Amino acid sequence: MKKMKFAPTMVAAAVATVLVAGCNAQATKDQAGMSAGDKAMAAAGAGTSGPPPLAPLGPPPIPPDNQQTPEKIELGKLLFFDPRIGGDASTGCSTCHEPEQGWAWAEDFSRGYPGTVHWRNSQTVVNSAYFPRQFWAGSASSNESQARSAAKGGVAGNGEDDIMEARLALIPEYRARFKKVFGTDYPHIFDVWRAISSFERTLVQRDTPLDKYLLGDKTALSEEQLRGKALFEGKAGCIQCHNGAITSDQNFYNIGVPPNKRWEEDGLAQITFRFEQYAKGQTEEGYRTAKSDWGFYYRSKNPGDKGKFRTAPLRYLAYTAPYMHNGVFYTLEEVVDFYDRGGFDEEGRTTLFPETKSPLIKPLGLTDDEKADLIAFLESMSGEEILMEKPEQPPYAPLFTKAELKAAQEAK
Amino acid sequence: MGVRVTTGRTLLAAAIGLGVAFSAQAGKYPDIGPLPQLKTNKAKAELGKRLFFDKRLSGDAGISCADCHVPSKAYGSKTALSPGYPGNGHFRNAPSLINTAHKKVWNWDGRIGTNLNDMTREMITEDYIMNMDMRIMQERLKQDPVYVKMFKDAGYGEPSNGSVRKAIPEYLKTLTSRGAPFDSGNLSAAARRGMKLFKGKAGCIRCHNGPLFTDQKPHNTGVPENFDVFLDPMNHQAFLAFAMFQGIPDYMHLKRDPGYFNVTLEKKDMGKFITPSLRELRYSAPYMHNGMIKTLAGVVNFYNRGGGKDSNKSKLLKPLHLTGQEKKDLVAFLESLSGKPLTSGQYVWKQPYPSEYPAIENWRQVRN
Repeated sequence: MKKMKFAPTMVAAAVATVLVAGCNAQATKDQAGMSAGDKAMAAAGAGTSGPPPLAPLGPPPIPPDNQQTPEKIELGKLLFFDPRIGGDASTGCSTCHEPEQGWAWAEDFSRGYPGTVHWRNSQTVVNSAYFPRQFWAGSASSNESQARSAAKGGVAGNGEDDIMEARLALIPEYRARFKKVFGTDYPHIFDVWRAISSFERTLVQRDTPLDKYLLGDKTALSEEQLRGKALFEGKAGCIQCHNGAITSDQNFYNIGVPPNKRWEEDGLAQITFRFEQYAKGQTEEGYRTAKSDWGFYYRSKNPGDKGKFRTAPLRYLAYTAPYMHNGVFYTLEEVVDFYDRGGFDEEGRTTLFPETKSPLIKPLGLTDDEKADLIAFLESMSGEEILMEKPEQPPYAPLFTKAELKAAQEAK
Repeated sequence: MGVRVTTGRTLLAAAIGLGVAFSAQAGKYPDIGPLPQLKTNKAKAELGKRLFFDKRLSGDAGISCADCHVPSKAYGSKTALSPGYPGNGHFRNAPSLINTAHKKVWNWDGRIGTNLNDMTREMITEDYIMNMDMRIMQERLKQDPVYVKMFKDAGYGEPSNGSVRKAIPEYLKTLTSRGAPFDSGNLSAAARRGMKLFKGKAGCIRCHNGPLFTDQKPHNTGVPENFDVFLDPMNHQAFLAFAMFQGIPDYMHLKRDPGYFNVTLEKKDMGKFITPSLRELRYSAPYMHNGMIKTLAGVVNFYNRGGGKDSNKSKLLKPLHLTGQEKKDLVAFLESLSGKPLTSGQYVWKQPYPSEYPAIENWRQVRN
């Protein structure tokens, strides 16, 4: 298929706008800079209700139309690690979601398709099964749609449906497995996303020290971590957004993350930066003047949403550095210092959209000991590293024999 | 087989029975002759030349136009089947681009009948060819100061997708036959005899006519399938992706290249391919849409036998009964249709491309 992405992008943007308009109608009417989350927090501060407490992680939700089966999970695992699910057969899911790099990519920007670099940080797949919103600006609402968008995006997998489907049809093991799992004679691309999602729904971690503690094992957290928990829920205010079992309220905030300096220094990153403005439906003036990631704005087209990103889940973060949507912080120390300064980095840099910055972000006045306690607690949200052996790629084989081709030639 | 051709046998038999007198028909066809030279804009063509040889015009920056359209092969494919985009192969032989600007229809199956602007877009964006999201391409070009200047000097303003689709066709206009003996009138005696056969006994002129030596119409000549299309999964996957996108029915079971059928989806067009130009043949072997015939002598033998086997084969084809000398004469004439190779710096971008993209200085302050 040709890469005619203009119309689909516009449709997607229109759909997103409608959805978002529904959610944010209220926010648009009053304080432009305050998201639904900000307002909920403001209400909480007034004493109506607090944020949901931290909670142990239950089993992941399984969509009724994509039930888990061992065969589907096994197929999804093969596909997740298969670079043929991409444009030039070199870039699959695991290329940017590398198990040994926290099922993410250990650089500020994700590595991207060959010849490109991405412009956002690759997020871990671990526990993604729980998130009603995927991607930093929440542009996918399921693992299935995330997998599809990532495989097809120009600076990610850069694959087209037809070539990816054609490749799988020429791999006998996939034909047999898809037939068994989905009942089709040849693999269908939408079933690829379904199988991958089933595999991803097994990449969950529910036995962290925090989970054990919350389930009643009071020895699971150290003294230091307990002090950190109290700070998390109190003085540091983290729980205002990082709450519930998944440690994210799934709302969008501008917390003051400064632009990544690579955009000032790296030609390849500048290319992607402009492409993203173009691809995400910026106005001409926006394309000409944007100098940082406008985040949730690209979906809502509401100026009050510039620089806002989905609250990142904190689970598994021991393995997922660097942090933030553009990976500007390489350590948890830097992250905590950033919040402690009220959303400024060590050079005093902050968001280019101070007008949309969340009022929840303000200097915290943490001592060095308190910072250490907080980091110790954050580390309790990760359990053992999840590693696995990568499966071997099933080989291609011709679909027809020479004899069949000769017979067809004779019958012409 | 997915789609069977069930008609045509009786027509073919009838045509053979009639025994058409070819020589009397030469005058019915547009005469062969020199091609007019095309006026080109130098700055635009020069820009198009740099773009044509630039690997950054493909998705993973792995191939340029010239990887399939090789200058020393008259801007055609080195191999029977073109290499295609990394991660897959291809299922046809890239035709010569020399004189392509004179054509009215492009691709072996004739699926583009508008202009080279559309062809350029098709080749750059198709996933098994260059797999380029042209929005990324545009931003790559803006990141290369040489392009920024060249687009400006060419009058296009800043680099854009639309201008690429104009500049490459402008460059292609410079690729026209130069100094072919046929055009300059320096034909050997053998070539002269061959020309007579071409117009007469061999009947080539019925399809290979006009200054381009093609009627630019689809015909089924019965060229055998290249089994490598189907036996090599790299090629087959490109074929399948193509067939899916074209909406060809039952593509998973197809064991032949449907040719012009993919334009009309009518059985009568199964296995038809657009008549190729015969100019620059000396350089563009192997021949036919799938590279199945390696030499000109082989091509002449193929037609001498009346073409290949296909129930939908053109009724114009029948055994020619050429003598050994006649075949040699015909080849001599065909060879006289080739000019000088277009491999000098006038046609080929020979300067190196930058190994990385320089950062735009003072990025925060300047407009994107």
